[in-house]
Amino acid sequence: MENEVVDNQMRLLKDMKGKIEEIERLVLELKDLGRGMPVVEKNAQSILSFTHVLRFGISDLAEV
Amino acid sequence: MIDRQDFWNPFLETLPREKLVEIELKNFRRYMRYAKDHSEFYRKTLAGVEPDDIRNREDLKSLPLTDKEDLRLAQEGKGTTIYGDLLGVDPKEVSDFRQTSGTTGKPVYVPESYESWQWRVEIWCHILWMAGFRETDRVFIPFGYNVYVAFWEGHYAAQKLGCDVVPGGALDTIGRINKMMEIGATALLNTPTYGLHMAEAAKKMGKDPKEIGIQRMVCAGEPLPHATRSMLEDAWGAEVYDHIGGTEPCAWAAMCSERNGLHIMEPFFLVEILDMETLSKEVEEGELGIAVVTPLGRHSFPLIRFNTKDVVRRGTDGCPCGRTSMMISEVTGRADDLRKIRGVLFTPVSVEEVLRKEFPTVSEYEIIVRKKGIMDEITLKVEPREEMGSDAMATLLAGITERLKIKTNLRFNIQPVRPGELPRYTLKSKRFKDLREGQSDGK
Repeated sequence: MENEVVDNQMRLLKDMKGKIEEIERLVLELKDLGRGMPVVEKNAQSILSFTHVLRFGISDLAEV
Repeated sequence: MIDRQDFWNPFLETLPREKLVEIELKNFRRYMRYAKDHSEFYRKTLAGVEPDDIRNREDLKSLPLTDKEDLRLAQEGKGTTIYGDLLGVDPKEVSDFRQTSGTTGKPVYVPESYESWQWRVEIWCHILWMAGFRETDRVFIPFGYNVYVAFWEGHYAAQKLGCDVVPGGALDTIGRINKMMEIGATALLNTPTYGLHMAEAAKKMGKDPKEIGIQRMVCAGEPLPHATRSMLEDAWGAEVYDHIGGTEPCAWAAMCSERNGLHIMEPFFLVEILDMETLSKEVEEGELGIAVVTPLGRHSFPLIRFNTKDVVRRGTDGCPCGRTSMMISEVTGRADDLRKIRGVLFTPVSVEEVLRKEFPTVSEYEIIVRKKGIMDEITLKVEPREEMGSDAMATLLAGITERLKIKTNLRFNIQPVRPGELPRYTLKSKRFKDLREGQSDGK
């Protein structure tokens, strides 16, 4: 029972880690597409600041 | 029964300790790599040692400590920006200037990139969530924050939580109290000193602070001994929460709803509590030590093994709240404030504890240490809340003298002053003045 809970939690963490990586990849693509346009570059960079925080709180946990 | 809603991050905050330790060491190696690659200061300081050399906590001892003086020296005339050798990102990425208060010397300039700033704000989200701040709160912050970091962090974290944040900087104390009542503030970010001062001011206005409606308060900027926290809770009828941190490393430990000790914000920080004599071994549960802190995700201002000089007591791990992080049971003050007076080790917090707990008629105080001949003389100025008759004053002073003698092993020269005579502080209070250095003998 306890193992099942832990397995479910790990699966959830890994799913969220995957989504965080996907967001980072998409935002970097967006930043590249919008190169030279402050509205895209600056807002995309801001989003990456939040994924930095999510890597700490979520992605790192999925690796242990 | 653990309720996930009690946690800002239920996974991280309830992780088994061995997992937390594993993540911290992994993050430490990653952060050390970053510091060596991006900070001129750490490129020099950590030359010859590599992240892979750090396999366990014991290996950390092979790395040098960084203290505030190191940071000052690394900024003076170094590098191409005002941040000297300490900047860890491209100068174009710096979005916020902060500086230390300068209490112990020349202030250190601290750069924040937007990314590093969000990392700091996240820590404060944990602090406020643990203190019960929620979307329904209207948070009043009665300060102009200037270049000092704590209330900025609290402001943006409360905003991220979804609270309604009210900066109260441009008002005087009476204006702030009126504004809090007008808008129905439910929570406060405050310094302990100003929290007490506002409560006193509200009473003078004929308002009971309890009726203002503040339900919770997080304190910053000064030590918060248990007696002072109780006094604040009694005055405001609110839950009062402490945290510990600094401009350089960020806030790194805070209270949960149990309000019995502080949780270290693992794995955002790797915290070592080291013996005060040699700073070379970690203390056991229940022992006092100095906190050495490495913030593991701040890129703009890399900091490895920062000697905070905060004197803390290592707590017992595990808390009824369900969090698994390492605990501090008590913050007893700063090593900077520890003084030898007539051969006795003295910390000003011990005076605050006695006055706040046992002498509620005392409103303010100031401690001054001077040399008189070859002897140290310690004077305590005591300000009562209201004018007192000579008999009542004599009884008060005798009582304080006796209790301080027992508590500190020192004899104080106690001087009464009139109500309102001592300065009131909003940010960091300066109630302890050691004037011995530079004072010529005989004065």
